Amino acid sequence: MTLEVGGVARRPRVNLNALLIEGRAFLALVLAVVIFSLLSPHFLTGDNLILMTRHVAINATVAIGLLMVILNGGIDLSVGSIVGLSGVVSGYLLQGWNIPFTDRTAYLPVWAVVIVSLIVGASIGLVNGFLIARLKIAPFIATLGMLYVARGLALVITNGVTFNDLRGEPQLGNTGFVRYLASRPLGIPMPIWVMGAFAIIFSLLLNRTPFGRWLYATGSNERAAELSGVPVRRVKIWVYVFSGICAAAVGMLLAADLPAATPRGGEFYELNAIAAVVMGGAALSGGRGTVRGTLIGAFLIGFLVDGLVLVGVSVFWQQVIKGAVIILAVAVDQAQQTLHRHRAGAKAVRAASGGPPDPPDRAVTIQQQKVTVT
Amino acid sequence: MIAEHGCDAPAVALAASDDVVLRAVGIAKHYGVTQALKGVDFEVRASKVTALFGENGAGKSTLMKIMSGVERPTAGHLELDGEIVEFGSINEAAARGIAIIHQELNLCPNLSVRDNLFLGRELRTPLGGVDYARETAVAKELLARLEEDIDPARPVSSLRLGQQQIVEIARALAGDARVMIMDEPTSALSATEVLVLFRIIRELKGNGVAIIYISHHLEEAIQIADDAVVFRDGALVATHSGEGLELPWVVAQMLGGAEIPDRDVSRLFTEVGVALSVRDVEVADTDGSGRLAVDGVSFDVCAGEIVCLFGLMGAGRTELLECLAGRLRAESGTISLNGEAVGSLSIRDRIARGIGLVPEDRQRDGIVQLQSVGVNLSLTTIAALHVPPLLNRADERDRVLAGISEMRVKTSGPEAPIVSLSGGNQQKVVIGKMVLAAPKVLLLDEPTRGIDVGAKAEIYRLLNAQADNGLAVLFATSEIGEALSAATRILVMRKGKVVTEVDPAQADRDSVMAAAGGAAGDLLEAVLA
Amino acid sequence: MTKLLTSVVAAGGLVLVALASPAAASTSVAARPASAGGGEMAIITVDPSNPYWKAEVDTAEAVAAELGYSTTVDAHTNDPDLQNQFVDAAISRGVDAIILDPAGAEESVGAVQRATDAGIPVFLVNAEISEQGIAKSQIISNNAQGAALGAETWVEAMGGEGRYVELFGNPTDNNAQVRSDAYHSVIDQYPDLELLQTETANWDRAEGKTKMELLLSAHPDLQGVIAGNDEMALGAIQALREADRLSEVIVLGFDGNQDAADAVVAGDMVATVLQPIVQGTTLAVQQADTYIRTGETGVADEKQAIDCILITSDNAGLLDNFVLAEAGAEPTASSEDTTPQTSSVTS
Repeated sequence: MTLEVGGVARRPRVNLNALLIEGRAFLALVLAVVIFSLLSPHFLTGDNLILMTRHVAINATVAIGLLMVILNGGIDLSVGSIVGLSGVVSGYLLQGWNIPFTDRTAYLPVWAVVIVSLIVGASIGLVNGFLIARLKIAPFIATLGMLYVARGLALVITNGVTFNDLRGEPQLGNTGFVRYLASRPLGIPMPIWVMGAFAIIFSLLLNRTPFGRWLYATGSNERAAELSGVPVRRVKIWVYVFSGICAAAVGMLLAADLPAATPRGGEFYELNAIAAVVMGGAALSGGRGTVRGTLIGAFLIGFLVDGLVLVGVSVFWQQVIKGAVIILAVAVDQAQQTLHRHRAGAKAVRAASGGPPDPPDRAVTIQQQKVTVT
Repeated sequence: MIAEHGCDAPAVALAASDDVVLRAVGIAKHYGVTQALKGVDFEVRASKVTALFGENGAGKSTLMKIMSGVERPTAGHLELDGEIVEFGSINEAAARGIAIIHQELNLCPNLSVRDNLFLGRELRTPLGGVDYARETAVAKELLARLEEDIDPARPVSSLRLGQQQIVEIARALAGDARVMIMDEPTSALSATEVLVLFRIIRELKGNGVAIIYISHHLEEAIQIADDAVVFRDGALVATHSGEGLELPWVVAQMLGGAEIPDRDVSRLFTEVGVALSVRDVEVADTDGSGRLAVDGVSFDVCAGEIVCLFGLMGAGRTELLECLAGRLRAESGTISLNGEAVGSLSIRDRIARGIGLVPEDRQRDGIVQLQSVGVNLSLTTIAALHVPPLLNRADERDRVLAGISEMRVKTSGPEAPIVSLSGGNQQKVVIGKMVLAAPKVLLLDEPTRGIDVGAKAEIYRLLNAQADNGLAVLFATSEIGEALSAATRILVMRKGKVVTEVDPAQADRDSVMAAAGGAAGDLLEAVLA
Repeated sequence: MTKLLTSVVAAGGLVLVALASPAAASTSVAARPASAGGGEMAIITVDPSNPYWKAEVDTAEAVAAELGYSTTVDAHTNDPDLQNQFVDAAISRGVDAIILDPAGAEESVGAVQRATDAGIPVFLVNAEISEQGIAKSQIISNNAQGAALGAETWVEAMGGEGRYVELFGNPTDNNAQVRSDAYHSVIDQYPDLELLQTETANWDRAEGKTKMELLLSAHPDLQGVIAGNDEMALGAIQALREADRLSEVIVLGFDGNQDAADAVVAGDMVATVLQPIVQGTTLAVQQADTYIRTGETGVADEKQAIDCILITSDNAGLLDNFVLAEAGAEPTASSEDTTPQTSSVTS
């Protein structure tokens, strides 16, 4: 739309820019699909696509929570451990919780198990948020510490073993865990539904609520946001809570899928989640990124990894290729931004003979041309 | 940068007079759309102090950057000793004998004084390592010359601001300069330290060094100047010799005849009611030295008033405003808004109560760079546009468009990236963001810094209109012209205290400047006369 | 808002404490010594979250406690650096013996040497190091022998022909290669058995399931799966179950963990191979005790390989947490290169 408000009428190039970044990841995804389907006749089959999407959904759900943290300019290395911890907590509750100081064993109904596990994830997130927002510990360090704490707690709770018996007993009324969380409504596995739900909810949160505005503002310029009255500390704590909740949800889905709750569940999940967020166009420094982009990034990484297995590439080369693609995606992103800046600068010089003389501001930051679509 | 105006005037040196060391011929500089310098001819003589006067944005700093190698001119050239030169970098200029003492200190706080002095020009041993012993000796010598008893091994971060400025000066002295550019060298110095500096300047003159002196402490600069040059809006508008140089002349040249809307200062405001009441507020210095940046300040601002906090750098204006806004803690004292104490509230709560700040540094504290004009404008009030749980987009759009039109922001629309706006328009957005929150007291720190004249006038007009509607405005500035024309009342601050209160209608510029510049001026007169 | 969050974290905290306390009570980090004021043994294992190594730890603790020693337990997860840390810590504590499941045959030599030089005898369980004369005992299960046994059963079930895939263990663990080689030494003799693809699943059940799902996509007509350990095999079984192909595919595992035994009983897995980890660890601790008291292990050879036992539907029901309940004698250690002990099961 063009607007003539006291001066130059220009069509805003904003939306195009954001689309280009995500568009590039999307193009890469399409390219990957094309290449793999040429290399293997089994890639594009319905069953395989659903299978790969289920794998993607596990990562994407964690990545959506992580996106919130990264938008704030932070990082959450503990998500993998939260996945494991929440799975183990559900497993423990399903197998019977020995109430301390008594001889009784409680078997919670499934909905209670789910809620408790989500609360556990939220609590770890809250601790992270507290450490980072109140005690001003660097996010990398705080969440690295919680990575070990949460993993350790999982080992303590399980005493090292894996909980196998998640199906429950009808007479105890707790049979729903595996039945529902590993079910396939309309033929689509539950993790995919969960991914979709979280994607919609968080997308609304980011684009249609004040919290979303606050988050984008804080990630871009925290000082300016604070002076503008944004509750920066509150925002900072909540994003870690959200991250914990997403990870906890995945922990339960994972446990129901195997079906077994292992204390090592979710190991290294944080790396794939970060890759998905970054490849979807988010800036690790904060203030830039969308749910849509994160989903695309998750699909790209997921299809790439699964595709390599399908095609039979050696295990070690799989790792090399995965890493190379991640680096390439981010490098192209940076190059595009630099190019953009130069073009914008040259354009401004050419336009020198036009408008009224306005003094420039001091050097603007790298991300100057990138804005979100509101 | 591309030579925009193709000023291909014959590159022949003009007739050299014996004592002109460095000459600028037809220097012009563009930053994108902006013309920072418009074809300036300027010369510096050996053994003379040339004082540069001009408001912020007048072009002085830009010219100095070009002369010291930091920037390249868009047009024109420099001549050193009659020979055309081009400096590709600071090091090249420094190698040719041009040293600059920056306004913003360029020291590495984690390194020692000695290391900073020789940064980039370390003294080497025959084996190629650093000769620390020799460096320490030279450092001690330099510091002694400056009559400063600083141990060269101390980390710079442990020094207070004035001492750091001395180190910066020593660094310039350490090289063998022929032209010494001093940009606001005394802003953080005590009166005695200023005297020492002036003694050094006289020594340097004796050694044939040409000195360029830039300072907002007008009286001081006038005392030391052998030649004076005034810049305005990117051009050199006047020259005068040091003899008979008077403050009123300088001020008049600096301001020119710029149109600033008049304010009806005759209205009495006390009847309307005190909006902001400040009593005995003390704010600690943010450098952790334990000193007070604001040392017991008390005043009132009534609804409809536009009060100016006038003072130079280091007076404590910014700290006071940030304290009133809620960012800095008051060590003691009370702050009341319409009778209600707000001293313990967060920034967010204070904005809710009706007091907000438009900060000094737009880039660092004012705009959210990655977002659009609309998002920036609505940031403070977004929660109010909230029909839970989702935002009311239509409402927001209306508000934003109204804001854009009221503030007269030149933009292609609410979706335009904020960074695509000029400085003046960005400032309007920052002000507009607070105005949309319907405050009772609006605080502004240097509201028109780095903004063109047209935008300045619009901002003053806006403040007037808001004040007419009952808003209490408190703004800080170091520009005398702005203070005299935009405010209904001026509070002059110096070194953390309010030293005097002035009625702009009756004040004369000299006395205001003197009050701000303070005792240094008197002492200088006594010593140098 | 802060109140809500605080109550959430308080709730979460209570939950975790409640869950952790009964579990914590049963963790025996330092087992109480018997009345004979014994010494201390350091038990350094790989990863107790795997039931196999859990059994190793539990056995070592129990036997040591019986003999009057207190114990500490550490897990190095196959990381030689961590292993070094734990060994050094044990040396500083001045323990009487170290029971170690080494991380890498080459990488562990240094650590074992250091302990021995400090006067602390080292007894290796489950895996060996590449040099002799340093550790006092190296008690391993004969992985090669066991894997071969398993492979033979699997080949028979496959009818000597068919297309199959392989799930490989953690490539940094020697045993992964040993077992795979042993499998192939049997399977490759049958030209009609075709290996379609090998994927690494790092000994992990979840990864085994993920890789198996993809392998099924790539080779919808596969007929067999050989896995380097039970956890990966169990993951593969779940994938096969979901794809509704479990009844047609022959699955082979290795370790003898309880879940695998149950799977063999249920007919999901054709066979697994019991590593006599309980016997092996028991022997190691006993020999340590003998050495501490007499200065000798009581056994002629340092390297002792205990044979693995094939577990099929015939005897899977008798298996209980790595101990095969049987009336006959328990297998004892044999030196390398002698013929295997007769097992109680004919394959």
